[in-house]
This record gives sequence, structure tokens and C-alpha cells, in this order.
Amino acid sequence: MTVVDLALIAGPAIVVIGLVGHLLVGDLLRRIVALNVASGGVMMVLLAIAARGEAPDPVPQALVLTGIVIMAAVTGVALALARRVDAVTDESEGR
Amino acid sequence: MSLEIGVFDGLLLAGVVLSAVVAVLVPRRTSAVAVFLVFGLLLALLWARLDAPDIALAEAVLGGGVTGALLVDALASKQAEVPRRRSWALATGIIAGIIAFLGMGWVVSRLSEPSGQLPLLVDDHIGGSGAEHPVTAVLLNFRSFDTLLEIAVVMTAVFAATAVSDRSWTRTLSASGELRIIAVVLLPVVSLLAVWMLVAGTTRPGGAFQAGAMVGAGLVIAHLTGTRRTSTRGPWGDALIVLGLVVFILLAFSTAVGGAGWLVLGESWASTAILAVEAVLAVSIGVGLARIFLANRREPGEAR
Repeated sequence: MTVVDLALIAGPAIVVIGLVGHLLVGDLLRRIVALNVASGGVMMVLLAIAARGEAPDPVPQALVLTGIVIMAAVTGVALALARRVDAVTDESEGR
Repeated sequence: MSLEIGVFDGLLLAGVVLSAVVAVLVPRRTSAVAVFLVFGLLLALLWARLDAPDIALAEAVLGGGVTGALLVDALASKQAEVPRRRSWALATGIIAGIIAFLGMGWVVSRLSEPSGQLPLLVDDHIGGSGAEHPVTAVLLNFRSFDTLLEIAVVMTAVFAATAVSDRSWTRTLSASGELRIIAVVLLPVVSLLAVWMLVAGTTRPGGAFQAGAMVGAGLVIAHLTGTRRTSTRGPWGDALIVLGLVVFILLAFSTAVGGAGWLVLGESWASTAILAVEAVLAVSIGVGLARIFLANRREPGEAR
């Protein structure tokens, strides 16, 4: 058992936890956090696959790096939209 | 780095899985964000353990820093009431999750031995690629088209965040004395780190994205401590954000028309081209990330 094997088991577990949380939780901010958790799991699987060979495989690592940058930017947009949705919901419920 | 399991690895992975579970399940927003920040930090350690120092750097600065700042700022809004899910929905979700996990576990268990073809290809061609560090060579030479598309996505996200914002984010903030001292101490360090990471990316872990995130962090620190003209709003901000994609597309067209093919970098000028493109990308990403944070920032206590 190496770190890579452990990561290949933990990765899918974290993906599933994040996805199921994202789909079942109601609060928008927590859903965004759950989606980020799921993306962390995906990166874990990709990086574990990259670490299997003698030298680490740079192509999956480049893909993961791309993914991290995009997740940060898209999380920002998602949070801005979530705030607008919450604000509109507040107004329509007359708070 | 040996990949045999030690006590540290077991604790690290247990911590990662535990913080993931808690971050998803805990009911309060503030607790979820706090545990998610811990999750991000542990992930950065795990990436370092998995022989991916570039990714560890990027996770620490983008996952923990930028995403953390965005999430903490979003906590300023009030938490809305949400209806509880019905129990059959919960049960279906959990069962589906278990099936998905077993399915993925089955796929993972059938992974064949690594053929090593891609790393061999990279090693063969890295000599004339313009960068000595394999990840940088892959990002900016072998798979530069992916990076071009990534910049387009980030730029689109920045303009989407701008479109959603209201008009109140350009005021120059007034800062107390302590905040200004923090700025005076931090900004030179951040600038130095940004330039170093950019230049170091050619030969060791680093590169445009880590440098870009430092530029973004520096801009946010500068604006929040009262520096003028750092709000990234207005035509200058727009121009800097678009610049990265424009330069990349110009490079693609010039290599297609006058060179050996789309984004084929000639050996003699590859390293210059890579460093130049990385510098422009770092500035674009930095201004873009800063704008995503600043355009939708909320003063504590402000109502929408």
C-alpha cells in the first residue's frame, strides 16, 4: 500500500461526498463549498495517477493546475450570483 | 520522495477525508467555510506529498488564499432559511453516492500499470521547448492551446463577476494607520514573490498562475488598505484583463502565419516567448482575480 493507493481510495470518496452534499444541501454558500470539496477529490485522483510512475507525470499535473485556477475564478462568480439570489429571496419574502 | 506509507501520510489522508465530511455536513455557513479552509491547507500538504510542488503552491495561494478570501467575504450576507429536504431525497442521494463510490473504486482498481509514454515524450522534447521544468513546458509549449482556453474562461468569469456587481466598488477606501503599516510591509514582499515565482517557473516549481495569484493578492491588499487607483475598475482594468488572451491569440496567429504551425515555438526563441507570455498572463490573471474579489465585496453590516 502506498500513498498513491490511499489517495486513489480517498479521492473518489471525497468526490462523492462533495457531489451528494452539493445536490442535497439547501443553502447556496454551502453548496458552493461542497462543489469545491468535490473538485478537490477529482484533483486527488488525477495527481495520484500522475504520481504512480517513476517520475511524476507532468501532463495530469498541468491539467490540475489549470483546474485550480478556473475553480477559483468560477467560485468567485458563483458566490456573486448566490448573493444576488439570496438578496432577491430576502426582498420577495418581505424581510 | 518515497511513496511508502508513514504515520504522517495516514494522519494526513484521514485529516483530508474528515475535513471534507465536516465541511459538507456542518449546518452553519461560518463553520463550513472555516473547515473548508482547513481542507484546502491539508490538500496543499497532500499535493506536496504526491510529488506535485507546483500544484501545492497553487493550491495554497489559490485554493486557500483567493477562494478563502471570496468565501469569507460572502459570509457577510445573512444566511437565508432553506426548506429541509424530504427524507426520501436524502436516502436516494446517499444510496446513489454509495453506488457512485463503488463504481469509481472498481474503475480505479482496474487501472493498468503506468505506461510512462507521456513522461517519455515530454523528456524527449523538453530540450528545445524553452523551459526546463516539465510542468511549465507542458503548460506553455506542448499543451499551450489548453492554457489559451483557460485564460479565455478566466476572462469570461471576470466579466461575468463585473456584470453582476453594483457600482459601489470604486471608492477609494480610507484606512487606519495599522492597515497602512501592514500594506507597507506586505506589498514589497508580495511583489518580490510574484516576480520570483514568475521567473522561477522556467526551471523549478512556479510559473504564471502562482505569480498571477500573488499579483491579485497584492492588488486586493493595496485596495483594502487605501491605495488609490487599485480597484481594477474602468478601462485600464478591462484592458489588462483582456491583454493576456489577446497576446496569446496574437502568438498563435503569428506562429500559424509566419512560423511552423499553430503555437509551434521555434527552439531559438521559445524561452523568450514563454517568459513573455507568462508575464502577461500573470498580470491578466492577477487583475482578474482582484476584480472578482473587489467587484462583489461587501462592507460588514451593509444590506443589499
